[in-house]
Parts: sequence; C-alpha cells; structure tokens
Amino acid sequence: MEKITFKLNNETRSIEVDPGEVLLDVLRDKLGMKSPKCGCDRGDCGACSVLLDGKGVRSCLILAIEVNGHEIITVEGLSTLGLSPVQEAFNNNNSFQCGFCAPGFIISATELLNENPNPSKEEVKEALAGNLCRCTGYVPIIEAVCSCSHKD
Amino acid sequence: MEELKFVGKSVTRIDGKEKISGAAVFADDIDFGPTLLFAQIVESTKAHALIKKIDTSEAEKIEGVVAVFTGKDFPFKFGLYMKDRFVFAQDRVRFIGEQVAAVVARDAKTAKLAAKFVKVEYEELPEVLDQMKAIEPNATILHPELGDYPHVPWFFPKANTNIAHHRKTRKGNLDKGFADADYVLEDTYFVPRYAHCAIEFHSAIGKVDYSGRLTVWASSQSPNTQRNLFAEALSSLGFTHKDVRVIAPYVGGGFGGKAGVTMEILAAALATKLKGSPVKILWSREQEFYNTYQRLGVIAKLKIGVKNDGTITALDHQLYWDAGAYVEYGANVVNSVGLSATGPYRVPNLSIDSYCIYTNLPPGGAYRGFGYSEFLFGLESHMNRIAKHLGIDPVELRKKNAITIDDTLAYGAHMNPNGLQECIDKVAKEIEWGKKEISKNPNTVLGKGFSLLWKAPAMPPNASSSAFLKFNEDASLNILISGMDIGQGLLTVMAQVAAEVLSIPPHKIRVETPDTDRNPYEWQTVGSHVTWGCGNAVKKAAIDARDQIFELVERALGLPANMLFLEDEKVKCKTKPEWELPLKSFVINGIMKEDGTFKGGPINGRGTFMPEFTSTNADPETSQGGHPNVHYTVGAAAMLLEIDKETGKMKVLKVVEALDVGKAINPDLVKGQIVGGIVQGLATVLYEDMRFDNRGKMLNPNFTDYKLPTCLDIPDEIVSIIVEVAQPDGPYGARGVGEHTMLPAAPMIANAIDDALGIRMKSMPITAEKVAMAILNQKEK
Amino acid sequence: MPITHDFKYQKPETISKVLKLLAANGDKARILAGGTDLVVKIKEGLESPDLVIDIKGIEKLGKIVKKENAVHIGANVTFTDLINSKLIRTKLPLIWEAAKTVASVGTRNRATIVGNICSAVPSLDSGPALLNYNTLVCLTNLKGERLVPIYQWFTGPKKTLRDPDEFVEKIIVPIPQEKNAVYYGKLGRYSGEDLAQAGIGIIGFADKTFRIAFCAVGPIPKKSIKLEELLNGQEINDELIEKAKAIIEEEISPITDIRSTREYRTHMMKVMFERGIKQVIAELKK
Repeated sequence: MEKITFKLNNETRSIEVDPGEVLLDVLRDKLGMKSPKCGCDRGDCGACSVLLDGKGVRSCLILAIEVNGHEIITVEGLSTLGLSPVQEAFNNNNSFQCGFCAPGFIISATELLNENPNPSKEEVKEALAGNLCRCTGYVPIIEAVCSCSHKD
Repeated sequence: MEELKFVGKSVTRIDGKEKISGAAVFADDIDFGPTLLFAQIVESTKAHALIKKIDTSEAEKIEGVVAVFTGKDFPFKFGLYMKDRFVFAQDRVRFIGEQVAAVVARDAKTAKLAAKFVKVEYEELPEVLDQMKAIEPNATILHPELGDYPHVPWFFPKANTNIAHHRKTRKGNLDKGFADADYVLEDTYFVPRYAHCAIEFHSAIGKVDYSGRLTVWASSQSPNTQRNLFAEALSSLGFTHKDVRVIAPYVGGGFGGKAGVTMEILAAALATKLKGSPVKILWSREQEFYNTYQRLGVIAKLKIGVKNDGTITALDHQLYWDAGAYVEYGANVVNSVGLSATGPYRVPNLSIDSYCIYTNLPPGGAYRGFGYSEFLFGLESHMNRIAKHLGIDPVELRKKNAITIDDTLAYGAHMNPNGLQECIDKVAKEIEWGKKEISKNPNTVLGKGFSLLWKAPAMPPNASSSAFLKFNEDASLNILISGMDIGQGLLTVMAQVAAEVLSIPPHKIRVETPDTDRNPYEWQTVGSHVTWGCGNAVKKAAIDARDQIFELVERALGLPANMLFLEDEKVKCKTKPEWELPLKSFVINGIMKEDGTFKGGPINGRGTFMPEFTSTNADPETSQGGHPNVHYTVGAAAMLLEIDKETGKMKVLKVVEALDVGKAINPDLVKGQIVGGIVQGLATVLYEDMRFDNRGKMLNPNFTDYKLPTCLDIPDEIVSIIVEVAQPDGPYGARGVGEHTMLPAAPMIANAIDDALGIRMKSMPITAEKVAMAILNQKEK
Repeated sequence: MPITHDFKYQKPETISKVLKLLAANGDKARILAGGTDLVVKIKEGLESPDLVIDIKGIEKLGKIVKKENAVHIGANVTFTDLINSKLIRTKLPLIWEAAKTVASVGTRNRATIVGNICSAVPSLDSGPALLNYNTLVCLTNLKGERLVPIYQWFTGPKKTLRDPDEFVEKIIVPIPQEKNAVYYGKLGRYSGEDLAQAGIGIIGFADKTFRIAFCAVGPIPKKSIKLEELLNGQEINDELIEKAKAIIEEEISPITDIRSTREYRTHMMKVMFERGIKQVIAELKK
C-alpha cells in the first residue's frame, strides 16, 4: 500500500492504494464518486471518462497510483457549483435517455469546450467519438454541445 | 375536444437533472457497507458436455474466500414461459459461458482470482451449433426431458426433439392461394444473432437478512416478474412472494436484455446461503455478450404469391430459429413471430411455421423488436423483389396490400385502427420517392430503400399494470408504478398523463424507480406496451384522485361535483367562476368547515389496467380463435443510401421514419426513440457482426471487435414523422412505440443496395466488405 | 473491475534510475507511459510484470524538439501532443495524419507513439509514417545508447529487437527537406475508432519520388521498395497504377480473421493506394 495525494474535484485528498488498483474502482469504491461508470473495462466505450489535469482520460486504464500529485475532475465536481452550461444544454435538449453514458459525454464535452469554446459540428463529433451511447443515436447529444458553441 | 395542456408537449424529462448531475443511482452505484460479498462466476468452457467433477477445494483455501457453490447447492429450475433452465448447470452444460459454479469472497479481486482455481472436468457431448442440423433425424437431443418441462398452455414443445415450441398459423386455403397467383417468389433469408450491448452491465445484489427475508437489487426491466420467478424457484426453501423484495434502481439501458431473469437469479440464490450479508454479482462486458440473452438467429424460408396487379394471394413463411441452450423466454419470440409473420399486409391464405430450436449457443431471449426485425428483413426484401419483377413501384405494391381496420390478422382477429397509409404517404413524400438521385461523386452511387413495419406487444393475456398516486402538502405528486424507465422516458410520460388529469405541472410530479414492497404491480417493461398499459393505470389513478377531490369539495363545501374542474393546481367551479380552492390547501390536511371540523384527509389515488379482451384460446393447429395481441403499432420508413462502388462503404444520407403512435404524449421522446432506434437498427445491419468458432465459442465479446456505432457513424439526416390515429383504449389515444423504430433498418439497406446496384443481399449483416466483394463478383460475371 | 495480478510500482525521476531498474529486473519489468496498452494486458492476464516503471515523472521525455534537421519525440509524447504540435503538422505531416486516426480523444490523450512502436502490433497506425520518414529508435541501457533504424525495429507480430534492459527514450525523425504531400489510408469497419485492417502511408515529393509503407497486411509494418522503384521519377498514369496494384498483391500478406478477409484487405489496399497517390499528386500540383 502506498499513500497518494491528489486533488479530487478541487479538494485535496489522500488515500492508500496498491499499485494494482485501477483509478475507476478507487474513485467509485473508495472515494464515493459514482459518476464514472464501467462500460467495457478496456477503454472502448468512454463511460469511465474523467478529467485528469483537464484532459479526458479513460479511468479504467489508469492505475490510481499514477494520479499522485495530479488533479481529477468528475461530474460530481462540475455539479457541486450548480450545473455547467453544457449540463444545462443536455438537460434542456433531452439529450440522454437511460443516462448511463451521460457522465462520460459530459466530461468529453467539457474538455472540448474548455479547449475550444467555438467548435464546429465536425469538431464536436470528433471530440465525442470515443463515447458510446446505445439509446439516443447521438443526435440530441451533438445538438446540445453545438448549442454551447459561441458561448462563454 | 378540449386542448390538452401537458399531454402532447415535449416537456423535458423529469429524471433529466438526476442523470446529468451524477445523482442518478444505478445498481452498481449503491453502497452496501463492509459486509458486502462479491461473487465471481465460473463458466463452462464447453458448448455441450456432461459435468463429471467440480473440484472446489483449492479455491476454498484461498484467504478471503467465504464459500464456493455449484449446481448441487441449487437444484432449482426457473423460466418465464417454460421452466427449462437451472440456476447453475446440473448434470451438463449446454453453452460456452453457462454458469457452473460461484466463488464468493470478501472482495472482488479475491473472488476473481479464486475462481481460476475451481477445476471442472467435462465429458464432451456432440455439439449442435446450427438450427437446421438440430432438427435432422439423428441430431443429438439437447434437452432429453423436454416433454416434462412445465410451460404456458400456448406453447407446444415436441418431446424427444430439439424443437422446444412450434407455432403454427393457418388461414384460408394455401394451395388455392398459390394456384391463383400469377407470380410466386420463394427464397431464404439469413439473420444471425445479435447482442443488446446496453452500456450498463447486468448487476444484481442479493441479501437474505437475519429474519430470513430476501431482497434483490437489480438493473432490471421486470422487478415484479423477477420477484415472481425468484419466489417460484426458491419455493422449496420456503419463500413466497411476501418474503421476496426486488428493488430496481435506474437502468442503464435494457433493450430487452434486462427483462425476464438471467444472472439476477444467481444473486437471489447465493444470498440464501449467505444469510446476513449482501452478495454482489457484476457482469463483465464479455459476459454481457455470451451469458445474457442474445437476439435469436433465424433462417427464414419465405414464399409469396401475387397476382399481376400486385395483390397478395398467398404467403408461406417457415422460420427456423436458433434459440440457444435455454428457451424459457426466447420461445415467446418464436411464438409472437408465428402469429405476425405476414407483416402489415392483407393476406387471405397463409401458413406460418415458427420453430423454436435448441442449439448449444447462448440462450436467446427478448431483444428490442422481439423477432420482428428478424422476419421483416426477409419479408420487406421479398416485397421489393416482387415489385421489381412485376414492374410495379415498391411503394404502390405496399399501399395496395397494406392491412386496414377491416382486415383480419393472421390469427383471425381484427386489425386495430391504424394510420399505415398515412405513414406510407408521408414517408414517400419526405424522401421524394420516385425521384432518382444521382451522385455527384464519381466513386459512389445512390439508392433508395423503403420498408413497412409493425409490431404488437407479445405478452401473456393477463399482463397488467397498476399505479398508486399520492399528494404531498405542496400539491406535488408521487406516482408509484413498477414500470421501468429504461431510457425511453416512461417516468416523464406517466407524469404528463397524471398532470393532464390533475392540472399539476409534470415537474411537480415525481415518479420513483420501483420497490416491490411499495410500488404496485407491473408485469414487465417490455413489448413497448407500458405507455399504453401503465399509462392507463396512471390515468385511472389520477381520475380516482380527482373524483375523491370533487367528492370531498361537494361534501365539505356544497358545490356540485359535476360542475367542478381542475386548473392551475386549483379546484374551480363552472357555476361559480370567482371561486377557487388551491389543491395544496387540502390534499393532505383536509377541508375545514365552519364548525372547525376537517373533512377529507390525504388524497391517494389508485388504478389498475389489464387488457380483458386478450386470450390465447386458439386452435393449436391453426392459431385461429384467440386474440393474443392487444394491438399493432404500424409505420413506414425510407432511406437514401450512398454506396462507394470500390470500397463498399455505405453512408445513410437521409432516413425518414413515420410511426402511428396513436397520440404522442411527448413528441420529443417519440423522436428520441426514432433516432435511437434507427441507429441501433442500422448498427445491426451495417456493423455488428457476431462470430463464433466451430466449437461454439464467441470470438468477439468486446467493443473492439463487435462494433457499436459512434457519433461519426450516424445518418446525415434523420426525419421523424409522428402520425396519430388514436388507439381507442389507450391513454389519450396513445399506443406504444419503442421497439418499432429499429425494425425497418435492415430491409431498407438491402432494398437501397438493390436499387443502386441491382445486387440483392439476403443475409445479415451487410457490411462494406460484403458489398464490395459482391460488386467485384458482379463485375467478373 | 479489479486487477488480480500483484506487482510493484516505481516512478523514477531520472532516466538513469529507469535504466537501473531495467538492468535489475529485465523482462520482469514493464515501462508504463500512457497505459492504454499495458493496463489492458495486465487486466486480461496477457502481461504479468513484477514491476511497473512509470516514466511520466521525467519531464524531458514529454518533449517534441527540433534538433538540426530532425524531430526528437520523447517516450511520453502522446498522440494528442503530436496532433497539437505545429512542428509535427507542418514538418512531419504523415505522422500527424496517422495520429488523428488513432482510437479517439480519450485514448489519444494518454497513448504514446513510442508505446505504439513498442507494442509492435502489425496494425499500428504510426508504422507506415515512421517507416517512410526513416525514423531512428533511440535505445539506452546502462552500457550506453544505440540508434536502430525503424526497419530493423520490428521483428515479428508484437516483437521488437529491444533487449529487456533497454529503454526507448525517444524516436528521432529526420525532416524531409523537399516539398512533399502525404496520404494515410486506413481501412476500418466504420468511421468510428477501429484498429487498421489495412493501412498505407504515402509521401510524394516534388521531384517525383515516393515513399510508401504498409501496416496491418503482414506480420510487421513494411516499406515497399518495389513500389517505390516502379513509381520513382515516373508520370503516374492509369497504366502505371495497374502495374502498381499487381505489385501490391505480391508485396503484402494479409490474413483472414474476424476483422476482415485477405481478399478484401488486398482489394482495399489497391483502392487506397490509387486514391492516395492521386490525392498526393493533386496536392503537389497546388
């Protein structure tokens, strides 16, 4: 077991982990962050996405020990301060159905809009292409993110 | 007709905020504290074998392992329509992946590690991996005891064969029908198995508390049916329904795969041996592929006779279903197709044989469409081929034969009101049917494909719904139902129905996920029927509450009940326009009279709905006489497809779908079903490609090689058209729509390819590779 | 879902510490950069290292640096870094094009190009580009450093000539000096992320010479000297393209597996070649 310290949703946290513990499992089981989900366990679906130093990553392919000294944001972190514009857009557009893939999409969309506040539809699709959804057919998800383009 | 205030409006989902804030709780999100145990399932590596020996001794010694269980610990059978399945394999295994043992440990890692130490010895038996081989005269029999299995009275297993059920429908005079035909087309279509691929795994946690009560938390479409099956399976341990509780949190996609009972029974069964501790079973993505229900595969032999003017005179449809190792649910897919495999057409003379055949492959079960996608692929392809031969426009051929309310269905009952012609016309107009499109890109060609669709819910004749409704002090409502929101938006739609009756805005209405202790009964959330069935129950409950409100106001204040109405969360009176009474002032506290006494008290409504006109009493040889299906939802669809002649890659430029939903309670959510369903339908025909090796092992149980479309793979344009020909017995005229939207995808693609290239593809999937190779072959000829 | 294999983890601050650990542990150690390959393998039991060496703490490994006429790409440089690099986009555009096709954003934010060549899967997207650019692989161990040309690097499917105590610190990619246009053609089963079932990288130079390499159609990615010899200095016309297609058939050895068939891969390689070469020529004319 080794102690790691990192920022989780803007708060400094310390926990003990074994090298073989996966970040997704540690976030969900030890730190109570349930929004990142396991959808495939091998990086194919994006449901486990979190922001690591601002970049969207698959937390199912990261060992928890690797994030020592880094910064993680999950959807819980985005929601504490009230819903972000992209979350509002998703809600108003009925973008999600079962909602299981929603946190992953929110992370990918947040990363995109933070880096590029003015994405084209093609750029939106490329940014979201790593997130799988089985319910919606993607159209209302893309619409919602596009509606956040041009906004601050 | 009064204008509706909430029904018919695209309100935002009432569960939307929970889902985008991270608040929505799914089964694996629930915390159970330090006593939580984890189970890892040991699975069969053979498709068909006797179990000679299971050695659990090594696994039991591992620190952290609490217990190891095998089939001998749970000799219980279960099944929805037929009891042909065991909790754990007993004397033999029948598919690769079948559960053989379970290791329970204090943490998931230990359970997973220890499972590798369970040693199973098998004696191989001949494998049957093909449904046609399974029905050959000397085929190995997979279920020697088939003749003894309890089953619903409307199933007809053939003992001592691999035919678990044979649905026969006969109407008119088939021989005469074909004799009268000017042209007969006969051919065979092949549709393989498919996987649901809901993004959330199956998850179930079972706990028997120290008082002996079993609770199961499960990602489920069917909490009541699960409770029923658990109680039945565990009855020899003394369990009855009052001793079993099922709690179903938010479901991360079902598509039929979380209906009935599959792995959930493992959590229930293991819990009975682990008193006091909850035990969790979480499926992996691989297990999702090979050890949950799959969509059955089918080989469909279709023969249709027509007159030169296109009128259908006869139809002979023989469907051989690869139903897998256990068919307790899949047999109903076979059954429902056996009643409906005419498609939405007027067919005076017909013979349908739908065979449910055991194979040593994963169990088939409910999958969105319940067999209709599978037979419509062949049927709608066949109609186009007939049109081409006769020189009739394929849309005209369909219009000519489209079923009307005056026609009888395959099994003799009458067709319900439907807007099929309107759907056809609107789709044809939107896709500019008849206009030949020319590609501007020299590498590609364009083609248009058309398809009709229809489906009825396939349910037992007593599938019922019920609802409770209670007010809170602020006149907000809680609606308690056991219908599941699996993404389709049921909770929102139920809120809208109640909102309309009670004048409470939908966002002041909470519809909770069910707990069988608290929420009244719903058969299952399947068949696209809950908007209709549960909606009727909710409407009745709301009307019950409203009646109580009016009765109370009359009793307490003397105003005539028949002059009262609800508006803006207040009671108002037609004969006293200046008077109004806010609901929140009395729906809990009652109405105070001048003498200081209170009348009334909490207003709680209840409603039950069961279709009382359905029955399965029918002639087993012809299926005539029963009324097994409540109603059909119909529609039409068309697409404009671009095909690259060298690469075979296909792009759907535009797809249009029209559905007669009776009444779109929430048009946005109907559109959500259309868009999502079309993409799922296109995925099955263009991308998803399940492969097995020659020993019955699935080769691609992951998203790397079983391709789900990403947002880069969707049509350029999807147009949704809502047609509303009211369903007389539906809430505000509504009919169900959920499965229907994916049904026409495959035949549209096949028809569009034929239109563009003159190549007819008769097997699925239709990948870019297959198209490219077909084009090359065509060039060589 | 838990990893059942136990291992140790170290995150050294310097390359020399990495080398010491590799010298001490050899084949029982694995380098961890992005983890998008290694972590999957550990989860699935395909790799069981005793020690995982996390190199992300060594800053210089994350750099893309131009030195003289070459670009040095460190072991921690991700595909996202490559896509965001103006240097890569303008000077080594075939790497840029290939990088864009790797998986999706979430994977590209972690996966490294050095990790890609160390995994050495036959379908690696970086293969054709690195071959065409005559890349050098920079290997170090406690004894010193050696530069290995990329054509010698791949020795078989998922095999390289790295010794267990050697560390790939960076790759060195010479910048072509002449004006050129590039094309990376990747056969996937759809537009979404996929592993290449056939891949072709083409660089066409203003002086009518070409560099052409394949991936996913043989046990290792491969340059096609024969194709280059056929096309160098020639006017590309339909007749020449047909001859080239015939050579492609001889040069590649695709397999049939669950992803695709030999026949379709071969057919698509010819189609991508033709479309690619025409695109490259059209661009050179601009």
